[in-house]
Parts: sequence; structure tokens; C-alpha cells
Amino acid sequence: MTTTDIPVQAARAQSPEPSRKPRGKREREGAAWVFLSPWVLGAVVLTLLPMAVSLYLSFTDYDLFNAPRWVGFRNYVQMFTEDPRYWRSVGATLTYVVIAVPLQLALALAVALALKSMRRGKAFYRSAFYAPSLLGASMSIALVWRAVFNDGGTVDNVLSGMGVHTGGWVNKPGWALLAVALLTVWQFGAPMVIFLAGLQQIPAELYEAAAVDGASRRRQFISITLPMLSPVLFFNLVLQTIQAFQVFTPAFAVSGGKGGPADSTLFYTLYLYDRGFVASHMGYASAMAWVLLIAIGAVTAVLFRTSRSWVFYANEGER
Amino acid sequence: MTTTTATTAGRRPLPWRRVALHAGCLAALLVMLYPLAWLVATSLKPADEVIASLNLLPSKLEWSNYSTALDGVDDVSVGRLLSNSLLIAGGAVLGNVISCSLAAYAFARLRFRFRGPLFAFMIATIMLPHHAVLIPQYIIFNQLGMVNTYWPLILPKFLATEAFFVFLIVQFMRGLPRELEEAARIDGCGPFRSFFLVVLPLTRPALITTAIFTFIWTWNDFFTQLIYLFSPEKFTLTLALRSFVDASSQSAFGPMFAMSVIALLPIVLFFLAFQRFLVEGMANSGVKG
Amino acid sequence: MAAVLTLGVLLTGCGGSDESSGGGKTVLRYTWWGNPDRAARTHEAVALFEKEHPGITVQTSFAGYEAYKQKLATQAAGGDAPDVMQLDYRQIDQYASGGILLDLGKQKKALRTDEIDAGLLATGVVDGTQYAIPQGRGTETVVYDAKQWKAAGVALPRNGWTWDDWADAMRELAKKTGKPGSVDPGQSEDCFEVWLRGQGKTLYTQDRELGFTADDLTRWWTFTDKLRREGAVSAAEQTTQLDGTVENQPLARGKAVSDFNWDAPASGFTPIVGEGLTLGPMPSGTNGTPGQYFKPSMFMGAAATSEHPEESAAFIDFMINDEKAAKILGASRGIPVNEPIRDAIGPGLKDFDKTIADYQDSVDGKLEAPPQAPPSGDNALQTTFGRDYDQVSFEQMSPREAAEDFITEAKAEVRS
Repeated sequence: MTTTDIPVQAARAQSPEPSRKPRGKREREGAAWVFLSPWVLGAVVLTLLPMAVSLYLSFTDYDLFNAPRWVGFRNYVQMFTEDPRYWRSVGATLTYVVIAVPLQLALALAVALALKSMRRGKAFYRSAFYAPSLLGASMSIALVWRAVFNDGGTVDNVLSGMGVHTGGWVNKPGWALLAVALLTVWQFGAPMVIFLAGLQQIPAELYEAAAVDGASRRRQFISITLPMLSPVLFFNLVLQTIQAFQVFTPAFAVSGGKGGPADSTLFYTLYLYDRGFVASHMGYASAMAWVLLIAIGAVTAVLFRTSRSWVFYANEGER
Repeated sequence: MTTTTATTAGRRPLPWRRVALHAGCLAALLVMLYPLAWLVATSLKPADEVIASLNLLPSKLEWSNYSTALDGVDDVSVGRLLSNSLLIAGGAVLGNVISCSLAAYAFARLRFRFRGPLFAFMIATIMLPHHAVLIPQYIIFNQLGMVNTYWPLILPKFLATEAFFVFLIVQFMRGLPRELEEAARIDGCGPFRSFFLVVLPLTRPALITTAIFTFIWTWNDFFTQLIYLFSPEKFTLTLALRSFVDASSQSAFGPMFAMSVIALLPIVLFFLAFQRFLVEGMANSGVKG
Repeated sequence: MAAVLTLGVLLTGCGGSDESSGGGKTVLRYTWWGNPDRAARTHEAVALFEKEHPGITVQTSFAGYEAYKQKLATQAAGGDAPDVMQLDYRQIDQYASGGILLDLGKQKKALRTDEIDAGLLATGVVDGTQYAIPQGRGTETVVYDAKQWKAAGVALPRNGWTWDDWADAMRELAKKTGKPGSVDPGQSEDCFEVWLRGQGKTLYTQDRELGFTADDLTRWWTFTDKLRREGAVSAAEQTTQLDGTVENQPLARGKAVSDFNWDAPASGFTPIVGEGLTLGPMPSGTNGTPGQYFKPSMFMGAAATSEHPEESAAFIDFMINDEKAAKILGASRGIPVNEPIRDAIGPGLKDFDKTIADYQDSVDGKLEAPPQAPPSGDNALQTTFGRDYDQVSFEQMSPREAAEDFITEAKAEVRS
């Protein structure tokens, strides 16, 4: 098939709509629910119900063992006014989001673009750049990270060789967060593959036409690649931001669950876990989860709102 | 990257540019793969060097780490652990690919009541920290008598609970040209045939992406497996890995690293196998790059 | 509405597991934490139990300590606690008051406790009920490399040495070896407890209130912080990396000459430190009051929801009182608390197990009775203690400020 005339087809796609018969519409409605049925079941039983329980728990004092005791807004009040460590965790998380997300996306996009224009060895590079992401944040990779970024580790030695003496990263309050962020950035395979898949979907004809018109590579990048890639870029941005707010495993693994040094990598979910499962304050942890949910929701809503001005869908179809 | 922002003299990169590109990529790879080299090297270090030594290479090769790891854990062989891991990851892949593409098609292409709010709700579920729903979910699975079975690990995937993938496939389907579906509809295809015959084949790159991510993430997911699996003969490689490290007694870091490497092999193989399929799938799906 | 619905789920969630009888055989689930070595010995002991009790099958499962704690909590909260479980000192109060544990005092027929040291047995009692039976005992120790220590010409740790003696030794070691003498004990609630008991105080009172004040904690942290500044104990950058594993202690990393630890995990230093590895007694108070005590290294408890309380009790009895089982288990769960059994297996102990047994003999009879199990809030406070001290050692808070913070949180935890 050819995809040269997407805009035309997209325009045509909208035209039959008014002529659709009501009967067909009802049929389609029924079909939609058939397609949705597994999702609906999962959403109700495994998401909605547990969410309701956790919302209820957020207004209680619940230690996992004894029945929950209703305490109204006390958990929320305590969180905002009496818990200095909570605010430290908020600060660490925001810093992390601001550092890790742009770095990871930039790197993933850069590598994807480099690979796209490559004729030979593309599959090899794609696999090799993906390799770190295969590991997850396992115990062993955390130990490797600690060794590499420790006092006298490889990074320290290399930097010392260049005249910069850091004395290790993972053991210093100002630096540890960066080391953890680099662990996430290092595993940029997922956004990279999504970028690559998105780049694959940009019709080659668009570039050929642009080249015939004498557009420079920079021009092609700005006029074709970026707009055509914008849905995928948006997708990656939303997803990575949400995941960054919930960052848990890398910090948990690297700091041994403590979020040290001096609470500098005590990310939000790490503290949530600590309150809920170590300290057995499930009510407080649930309240933290709901505040996080609302905060992420707000950030995502802002992203979606701004997306209208920069995300371009090839066919806006039925809206 | 330099290749796209640098001014150009023609349609094809000059040889030196290609060389520079490869050199740049290789240099980046070297840095990227260094920690992996460290991981493999450490799996061959004697116990006293695993943590204390900051050298990349072991002073002597300690193959016994591997023989210890191959013995398995708690009377369960490595083969058993491996097949358990494969079963869970395979089931999860199947579940996610089927259920998420079904839901995604409805969201991307079909019209139904509450589509907007339901889509927003689905996005919202991506934002929910899963620690918060862990206990309620556990109670539900316990009520269903599914604790210490693989159901809590696989069933949710068949119910499209991983909204991430639904969203991913929705985004892909939205980017697909619509004319084939329109043509199919004019030819009398209902939404089901249109989905299976037209949309699904075109969505293959997204489905393969879903499969790869699901496999890797399920493989590495320690937490859920820990909570739900009880009997050693149901344990997975990832679970066994952690039992080498115990803060209250002596840890066996050497064998743990060895087992990490062993556990890494299937994912690498799976990825490499799909890697080829991915390229092929993209070339054949007609969505050329 | 949702609240009512969900509460219903929570309350009805507390049913038992019904996979406990298969093919006419009673199936007991037994979970514990540990490492593969402990797993091998446990399997052997369990096989023997099954042979002696043909009607019972024991399903075992283990995980590392942190993972185990999490898993057990989730299972217990989900109403699915295993029949027999290994418990830590810090879990007893929470699990007992949460109604998870079976009253083992009512199982006297199947479970004998008369050969267990009375003081240790009492640590498994909460509100007058015997909820858990100690299995092994351990005590704290100064772990050191005797070779380096002797080469430096510093007097070795000895019974009755005080914290001031210890501090002087650390300063001298640092001067002679160029390395900090020890890990910084300021981060450890356990070390603080030893220091506190040396002054005749306790972490918690009989009524499970806090047994010390911000002044006490300020003095402790000022003491350790000064040593850190002098370089006599490990730097903040080293201390913050402690995660409980032996391998990350400064002694193992070659960054200090000695360590504070429990005796059993200290075996982990063997491959790293080598022959010089020695266990010495903990420093005591100025007037010689010993601070360290024999702590149950782990307990066994049974689930209140278990459908087989008698079989569970019989299994616990086997693990603790059976001589053949003890010979298989050795010291893998700490030196046994059952006194005749301790004497029986003593001569057969090898390697580091023997080192531990000898060390325990050297302090046995000199120590005071252990405190009762700490209140459940202590579980969280242990982590908070290290975190707050991090703020001190990275000089972001003064000892006084951090101590005030800790006391505020501790009071809230102990109250709730």
C-alpha cells in the first residue's frame, strides 16, 4: 500500500460520516463493548475496586493487621504540616523528574535519529543500545552502579584523571541523585524503540518530495520529522514523566531501600513504600498515593493541554 | 544529533559522515556497555573481590560461582526456575497483546458512549502508584483462591490492566491511514473483520513492541512474584536471584552475579529473536520508513 | 458507599487458606528468611520431621530478610499467614497485637519449653501470652582483624572495657593504621541500645514507652560525631552505604579495622578478612555495666488462623527441641536456645560456628536479661534512626536537632 496521500485520505475519511445509518451506529456501539469487555472487567475488579479501597484507607489509621480506624483528614494534615521528611521526598522527586526525563528522551531521540539514517549495522546498534534496558534495576545492576560510581570507582577515577575530584557519587548527598538518574537515563531502550517505530511510520515520500524541493536536512527535520513524530514524542513524554514521578526501583536498589545519603534519593514512592510496608502505616501511605495521583494527574492534564498546540495527528478522524 | 542538524551538501551522507556516525555510535556504546562488562566480569570474581575490589577484571576466574548458581536454589533446579519464568513471561505477552489491542481498537476507532471519560480513566490508571493498590489486590486474589498460582501474574494481563500498552497501541492506530478500513467497510466488513484483517496486521510493529516490553518487564518484575508465589517449585529466576542475598546472614554475591548473567541470557535471546522479526514486521506491514 | 463496600472486602478478607489438606495428609506451610545454606539444612531437617510424622507434609519457602518481611506482612494482612513462620524480635509485638499469632502457651502438650533459658523465652511473651518461641540466640560483638590490630600495637578488646576505652583504641588505631578504627556506631540503633543499657537505661520501658530522652540521644550522637570528625570512625560517605549486608561494612571494604555486628552474620567476613577475623565483647558502661545481651536471633510462631495448631506446635517443638534436628541445623539459625541441645551440639560445631559458640561462652553469665520484644513502632524507628544520623554525619543537622526530630517521631510511633 502507499501512504503518499494521507491528508487527502484523512479528509475523505470524514466525509461519509453524516450519511451513516442509526442502525449501523448501534451495531458499532455494541461491537465497541465487545472489544472493551476484558478491559472493563480488569478496570472494575483490579483497578477501580482496589483504588476505592485505597481511597478509603487514606482516611484511616490502618496497620495491616487491625481493622482500619477512621481518622478523617489526619493523614493528609500530618503529611503537609508535620512531616519534614515528606517534603524532602517531594523535593528529591521533582529534581529527579526535571533531570531524568529530558535527558533520557533527548538521548533516546538522538540515538533513534542516528540509527534511522544508518544503512548498515542498524539492527546491531539497536540491540546493543537496548542491552542495558534488558536488565531492569536488578540487585546486581545496583551493585554494579554502586561500584562504578563509588569512591575510587571508575567514574571517580576517570574524573580524577581529568582533574575533577568528586570522591564518588553514590555516597554524597548532592551527587547520588544524579547517579540514580543516570541509571534511568542509561536504560533509554524503551523510548528509543518507540521513537524508532515512530520514525519508521513517517512516509519516505515526504522526504523525497522535500528533497526534490531542495529542503535542507535541518529544514526536513523541523518540517517533517518533528511534526510527524510529535504523537510519539508526546507519548514518550507523558509516559516517562508519569514513570519518573513514580520512580522506585533504581533508587531502592542503589540506596539499599534507604533513600540515602541524607534522604537525597528518598523519592516519593520510596517513602510511600517505607511508610506503608516498613512502618505499617498503610493509611498514611494510601493518602500519599492519592496526593501523588492527583499531582501526576495535574501535570499530565497540563501536558495534554499544551499538546494541542504541538502534537500533530495525521488523521484526526472522528472526534 | 549531528547528522540531522549539520548542514548538508546532498541527499546522501558523505563517506566521512558515515564513518563519523559509526565512530560516534561505537564510542557511545563503549560507555553504555561498560557496566554490563562489569556485571559479567564480577560474576567471575572470587568472593573477596566482588565488593571490595574496584578493578574491572578479576584476579583469577572463579567458575565455581557458576556451578553454585547452576545448582539452583532451595532444591529447585535452574531448568525449573527458567521454565517457570518463561511460562509467566509467555502468558503475560500473550495476554497483553490480545487484550490491549482489543481495547485499543475500541478507543482508537470505534464510537461508544463515555469514550472520552473512559479514555481519561484509562490514562489515570497509568498514574496510580501500584504500591497503593497492592494490599487490596492481594485480598481479591486471595479471595479467588489464586495465591500461590500464576494467575495473579498472568490474569491481569488478559484484562488489559496495563494501560501503558493500551495507550501505546491507541497512539499507533491513530497514526494509521484510515482508507483501508473505509474501503473494507464499504465492502461490507464489520468492525470485527476490519479489526482482524486490516488494522491488526498494520499494528504489528506496536504489537511486537508490546510483546518485547511485556516480556522484559515481566521477566524482571521481582515484587509481584515475591508477593504471590509461595512454593519454591513455582519460583522464578528473578526470585531465586534475590535469595542469594540476605542481610541477616552470609550473602553469596558471586553466585548471585553468575545467576544474573544466566537470567539475562533468555531475555537477550528473546530480544535478538524478535529484533529480526521487528525489522521484518515493519518492512512487511507496508509502513515503510 | 464505596467505603462500606471496601470495608466489607477488608473484613471478609481474613478467611483462612483452604489448601491445607491434600490427599488425607496434613499440609503445613512454613516460611522463613535466610540463605541457600540455611535452606539446605532446613530441607534436611524437614525431611526428617516428615519421616517421623508420616501424616504431615511441610511446604517450606524462604526469601532474603527484607523481602521476607514484606511478603509475610502482605500474606498476614490478606488473611493468609502460613501455619508456621519465622519471626524477628521486632515483628512479634505487631503480629501478636494484630491477632495473627497463635497462643503457643495452650499447646504445651506438643511443644515443650522447659529447656529454654527463662529470660530468652520471655522475649516471646506479649501481654502475658507466649506468642513465639525463640529458636537461636545471638549477641553483638566487635568484629575485628586481629592481625591489623596487633600490628598497630593497640590493646585488644577485652571483657569489661568501657566506651571510653573503645574510643581511645579507635583514635590510636586511626593514628597507627591510617584507617578509621571502626564503623561509625552512631547510625545503629542496636549500638545505641548497648550504650544506653550500659548506663542502666533501656530503649523502651516495661509499659512500652520510650525509655530515653532527647538528651541521651544527643549525648550519644555528639560522642560518635566527634569521633567521626577526628577520623577515628568511618566517614559519612562510608557510613551512609551500610545496608545490613556484611559486604558493605567498612571492614569488608578495607575502609576500617573493626566493625559492630551481630555474631552470626559476622561469618560473612571470613572470606574477606581472612584468618585474623576475631570476635570481641562490646564496650560496657563506665561502671562496668554490660550493655550487650543475648538476643533471640529469630523466633518461631504459628498462625492463629491455622487449621492445624497441634501439628504446627509439634513442628516447632521438633525444630527447637529435637536433638537430631539440632545436629542437622547446627548453628545456622543462631546458637540453639535449648540448653541441653546447645551442650550436645557444641563439640560438633566447626569453623565459624565454633568461633561464635566460643565467643558466646566467653560472655555467658556476665550479661543481663534481654528486654521484652520492642513495640511494633520500633520496626520503622530502626530505619529512621539511621536516616536521622545521616543528617548529623553529613553535617546538615546538629546532634541536638536530629535527636529532637527522632524523639518526635518515636513518640508518635510508640503511641500508635
